[in-house]
Amino acid sequence: MTIAITGVGVVSPYGIGAKTFWSGLTAGACAIRPIGLIDTEGFRSRIAAEVPADAMAALGASTRRSRADRLALAAAREAVADAGLSRAERAPGALVIGAVGGGMLEGEEWFWEETRTKRPSAKIRALRSILPYAHAETLGWRLGLGGPKETVVMACASGAASIALGADLVRSGAAPLALVGGVDALTRICFMGFNALKLLDPEPCRPFDRQRRGMSIGEAAAFLVLEPLERARARGARVYGRLLGAGITTDAHHVTAPQPDGEGMIRAMRLALEAAGLPASAVGYANAHGTGTLQNDRTEAIALREVFGAEGVLVSSSKSLIGHCMAAAGSVEAVATVLALQHGLLPPTAGLDETDPEVPFDCLARTARPAAVEHAISNSFGFGGQNASLVLGRA
Amino acid sequence: MSDARAGGSPRIVITGVGTVNACGAGGRDALAAALAAGRPGIAPMRRFSTEGATSRLGAEVDDATLAAHVDRDAARRLSRVCQLTVAACRLALADAGRAGGADLAIVVGTELGDFDSSGGFAKGFLQRGIPGLSPMIFPNTVMNSMGAAAAIAVEAKGPTVTLNQATVAGDLAVARGAALVRAGLAEAALAGGVDELCEDVFRRLGQLRAISPMGRASAEGCRPFAADHNGPVMGEGATFLVLEDAERARARGARVLAELTGASWGNVPAAPYSAPATRRDRLSPVAAALRAAGLDGAGSLDRCLGAGNGDPDLDEWEHALLEADLGVEGRERGLLPPRSLAALFGQHGGLGALRVAAAALEGHAGGGRALVHGLARGGCRTALLVAA
Repeated sequence: MTIAITGVGVVSPYGIGAKTFWSGLTAGACAIRPIGLIDTEGFRSRIAAEVPADAMAALGASTRRSRADRLALAAAREAVADAGLSRAERAPGALVIGAVGGGMLEGEEWFWEETRTKRPSAKIRALRSILPYAHAETLGWRLGLGGPKETVVMACASGAASIALGADLVRSGAAPLALVGGVDALTRICFMGFNALKLLDPEPCRPFDRQRRGMSIGEAAAFLVLEPLERARARGARVYGRLLGAGITTDAHHVTAPQPDGEGMIRAMRLALEAAGLPASAVGYANAHGTGTLQNDRTEAIALREVFGAEGVLVSSSKSLIGHCMAAAGSVEAVATVLALQHGLLPPTAGLDETDPEVPFDCLARTARPAAVEHAISNSFGFGGQNASLVLGRA
Repeated sequence: MSDARAGGSPRIVITGVGTVNACGAGGRDALAAALAAGRPGIAPMRRFSTEGATSRLGAEVDDATLAAHVDRDAARRLSRVCQLTVAACRLALADAGRAGGADLAIVVGTELGDFDSSGGFAKGFLQRGIPGLSPMIFPNTVMNSMGAAAAIAVEAKGPTVTLNQATVAGDLAVARGAALVRAGLAEAALAGGVDELCEDVFRRLGQLRAISPMGRASAEGCRPFAADHNGPVMGEGATFLVLEDAERARARGARVLAELTGASWGNVPAAPYSAPATRRDRLSPVAAALRAAGLDGAGSLDRCLGAGNGDPDLDEWEHALLEADLGVEGRERGLLPPRSLAALFGQHGGLGALRVAAAALEGHAGGGRALVHGLARGGCRTALLVAA
């Protein structure tokens, strides 16, 4: 069964909507700026790619919801509207959400207040939506989805894994369609944690650059509607692209560091290609995980070279433009990859001046490049040695 | 994930059980003994003070029990919830008589993750500022840390999936683990759930009236489906099952405990944290699982284990939905109200896997076919069919 992508929705550091997202990406506009959402005083890195305040205000969702819930609801609503699904059509749909932070931003506000004042705070209500599964409850209810519902927590591979697992539900017949994607809002714990690990660049990140000094974090939500291609054609839906194969593997090596030889990444990419029934040579573009840390980019380059050969594929990192959107990264980047195939235009890697000699690829420095590519791969890797690769094809 | 790789739909069998819970630890024999003894693991909390809290009961894993199943290195390096996970996964593999490896998947269901580490990380900052932030603790704040620790410990290199869900996390993990094997994405799966009792969470859930006695006058305790039920009692522990393709299991001479003949899950759209007691579920996973297994309603079932944990609204909703699915015959056959294990083990992410394991053990002992049902506030619903 071929899985078609018939709807996309994004709220990103560029603002609301997939069109806004695509315009920002292809313009090569870096959305990484000083953080306004939380106090950053004294930290080495004080920047991130936030969803702009005016975009948050325009989301329409109740401000009593967590920031992440509001991001997710807006992106999911856009995706189902984009797919032209009526409430009745989507009623049996599956919902698979990749999430990590949940409503932690608001939970932190409660925790900070109680700890500092040593008095009970009315903000304790935030705990009702602090866990990652809160997003699925909100979306399942508001969108009336009655199929299988899952919240996948696979660190920075969560968004990509949600797509792979949702496709599996459609392929197995457990649901006729699936709304899949990821969401994460900026949180203090995430910002402080990556600072503590010294993995954040004080300046906007520069994936694959010789002088790269770390990553930049971001926040976003991105959702896709998946359904069998035949069903999509039968109902006259617009098809953005096809999800041809997916591979999910585990390094079983270290909690935070990737396996140095990239073995788990290589297996994920090869499993995805095998599932797609494609040779590596059929893939023209890789939307890399590309965080900008020394270790990730070096290891991913080793893995890409092993699978595609040196110079065997064009590579770019969307994280150079919108930061690392954590659990949303995999789905945001899957949307970027599908739109790149659809438009024949590959988004660039921002901030790339001199490609690291250990990265033997054309990394599309600074400017988007027209290219008629038939197939592309989107990589997502995360803490815990989690690897997820998606092979996507033009409609 | 292509049709070519899935290549048909293999039968899924349970070949191993590993558990560390408030009633003991071990493989299938240890769990069978705990179920036969029927001594509740719920007792006044010992590991932390409940002074000033609205609740005082919990189903704790004894420290000595856990220590007996965790090597010194793991005890030093891993958080408590990761230790529970690693111990139960190792016990399950030993029970199944198989090793880890590239074709082994892990699916971890959890309600809370490693909240203790999240709280500890935040407190480090609030007490000492930036120098108080621990880069060692931070990775544990991500909920997949338990799965990661288990994958490293047993060298599992297939998909490691963590599912976060209230009340039915373990059920969902078993269902997803079976789906991974059925789709050919792994040769076998360690699937189950884990949670730990954490003082901050215990106190806050009490404040939110989410655990017994939920602000009611009746005595604190876990009494699923009883007239005086007044909320769940929190528990902790980890329980994992080894799920395998039946043909492969038999080829390697595995001791098959039971077959998972159906697994379906869905959502009854309801407001977050609500339990509306509607009987209506047009897409009932119970009906779907029975249909997929070629079975015909309550007459084909011998037992029913449910998620009811003493939360009055949830108990009533589960009862209503199951009545709609199983009808009068379900009541007449003694399937309703469903049997709950929450009073033995306390509510935690491993409870669903314990229910599936109990159904498998009872089926193996001649108990026929069981429906293991799950329902959470907010509408997540699961149905697993277990037969000898």
